Amino acid sequence: MGKLEVDLTTPLTEKREGFGYLRLEPGKITELVGDTGSGLTRLGLSLLAEPSKTGPVVVVDTRGWISPEAAWETGVEAESLVIVRCNEQPLWTRVTAALLEGVPAVFAEVPAGINEHELRRLAALARARKTMVAFRSMGSRLPSGVSHLRLRSLGVTWEGADRGHGKLKGRRLVLEASGRGAAGVTRRFEAEDGGRGIFTVVEDEGKDTLRLVSDVVFDPSRRATG
Amino acid sequence: MWSLTRPDAPPGNPVLVADDRVTGATPDVLAAGVTLGMPRRDAEALAPFATVLARDVGEETRRFESVVGVIEDLIPRVEVVGPGLVFVAVAGAIRFYGGEDVLARKVVDEVAGHVGSGPGREVLVGIADGPFAARWAAAQSSPGEPLIVEDTLSFLRSLDLESLREGVASDSLIATFRWLGVTTLGDLAEFPREALATRFGNEGVLAHRLASGEDRSALPREIPEELAVEMEFEDPLEHIDAVAFAARNISERMLSRLRSNGVAPHQVSILAEPDLGTVRERIWRSADPFTEHALTDRVWWQLRAWVESGGVPGGIVRIRIAPFDLSGEGRQLGVFGDESTRIETERALARAQALLGPDGVLEGRPQGGRMPAERVAWSRWNEPETPADRDPTAPWPGATPKPSPALVPPRLQPIEVEWDGGMPSRVRLGTRWEPVLTWSGPWRLSGRWWAGERDADRYQLVTSAGAMLCVVADGKSYLAGVYD
Repeated sequence: MGKLEVDLTTPLTEKREGFGYLRLEPGKITELVGDTGSGLTRLGLSLLAEPSKTGPVVVVDTRGWISPEAAWETGVEAESLVIVRCNEQPLWTRVTAALLEGVPAVFAEVPAGINEHELRRLAALARARKTMVAFRSMGSRLPSGVSHLRLRSLGVTWEGADRGHGKLKGRRLVLEASGRGAAGVTRRFEAEDGGRGIFTVVEDEGKDTLRLVSDVVFDPSRRATG
Repeated sequence: MWSLTRPDAPPGNPVLVADDRVTGATPDVLAAGVTLGMPRRDAEALAPFATVLARDVGEETRRFESVVGVIEDLIPRVEVVGPGLVFVAVAGAIRFYGGEDVLARKVVDEVAGHVGSGPGREVLVGIADGPFAARWAAAQSSPGEPLIVEDTLSFLRSLDLESLREGVASDSLIATFRWLGVTTLGDLAEFPREALATRFGNEGVLAHRLASGEDRSALPREIPEELAVEMEFEDPLEHIDAVAFAARNISERMLSRLRSNGVAPHQVSILAEPDLGTVRERIWRSADPFTEHALTDRVWWQLRAWVESGGVPGGIVRIRIAPFDLSGEGRQLGVFGDESTRIETERALARAQALLGPDGVLEGRPQGGRMPAERVAWSRWNEPETPADRDPTAPWPGATPKPSPALVPPRLQPIEVEWDGGMPSRVRLGTRWEPVLTWSGPWRLSGRWWAGERDADRYQLVTSAGAMLCVVADGKSYLAGVYD
């Protein structure tokens, strides 16, 4: 991560100063909402980078496609990462419950069709065991009250490729944070991925204008906007 | 063996009780080849006709409590490992009753008289030097016929390596020992302990200690009084919810106190004082140091058993838990933090593996390659790592540039791409066509022609639905990764 400059027009809350949106908290669930291609798998993997420095972390992969190489690039320790492939929806709840009970940090894809009461039981288990959890829903959104923080992807912008020239270098995700973890206020910000991990370029369009600018250089002419 | 009397079991139907492994079964299920301790998946395959019930350790503890009471009437300071298994230090009792065989026979008679006779009600008793040897002596005894081991070291040496599986050695360690030609604990004891420590760490040393007859003592050591934790209640606790809350609270307080001293308990004494009647006390033991979760469970099971069996008339007015048999394992900070975290994680992953099969829990290691799917060497968790086929530190010219796609299909997936003058213009995603906003490539991928591989071109395509890595070979397009 590069050097960060902070420019703000209103006081920065302690939570956001600590990049609270893009960090897992013990016993709390961060929900990632968005379509495939919106950058949320890599974002979810990057959330495991910090916990992987001190303990094992697990990814629950329902499609069998998640690549550990992307996780290593975001800073997840290879020795700490275990991938659990569970493509059977009836088993998913039991497998995830077993993992939440013993693993310090889990990023799990949630298959469509999981019952609301099962998700609530998992949330209660995560709270009781103080497990750090990120859920990426593959179907509808999680029921209200399950997640502490909801991050919804509103769009992605890629840098580097230009009609056959160059190569993909980095991207910006436009994200919307809501829920208790965002103090009950819906906030919009951008997360910047320079290919080595997620770090934030935050632009709050609400009352609390806030901007964090990293030292990553972008060439505006090589930009594809989605 | 523990008799299966579950109120929620369908009457007359074959029943299997299991969590990750089988802990109980009706005789017709056992007749199908199911054994206690067998992985649940294997048991379900052998007895698909059986109704599977999840294990309820709290309920088992409640039912087992009366058996513990019978033993405790004969010998004080019973240590409970779990429902169905207790350890008792018998040195004093042997003198009191006039011999090992007299004592063992008395225990068998009293317990058998309490639980009755029939399948699943067998009483197994073993006497040996140390809990580990005694546990396996009991396992090898015949129902109603205690096994008294005269020469514990020789007895241990005859045991198969499987005896280490229960909370001592991992499956992979046992498999490695077997691969080295070690089949019994006697074979293992022949190895120099230093060599095992170097190669297998603490796990290897513990296995060697047990194989050499150096078990932990069953006699609790004296501990500083301040490590014990006590809670008093003005209003006696009678409701089970209040008891559960107290169990959790007191467990957390004690382990927090122990952590600050850098120690972890292998035994814990749980004491409850009722408003009316006599004080109840029970000792629980674990091969691994108690974690917060494990300790909370045991305190809860024990208190629930007393409350539901009427053992604490008038409710609980005081709870006290005190640690025994402290070890330094709680402060062994490794790569994965403390020892208890490692143990809990390994158990969680083992449970997931039992549910999903061995290929469901995987680890990846970097290896060389030009395509994303080639750059990961997969191996099953808890098995020896698959050696990398290709050196990840080699230059690999022509490798797909970083960032890597986060989603990589195990095999190339056909995808429809529309081309306009050699340039990609649209991609079909499901039922809709997405225009290509920009792209990079082509990058040539030269196949090994002598192995039948064809040349191909790679493109990074950016659409409004995200970016993807595409391979074009023989005029056909394939999806090789999604930059999700």
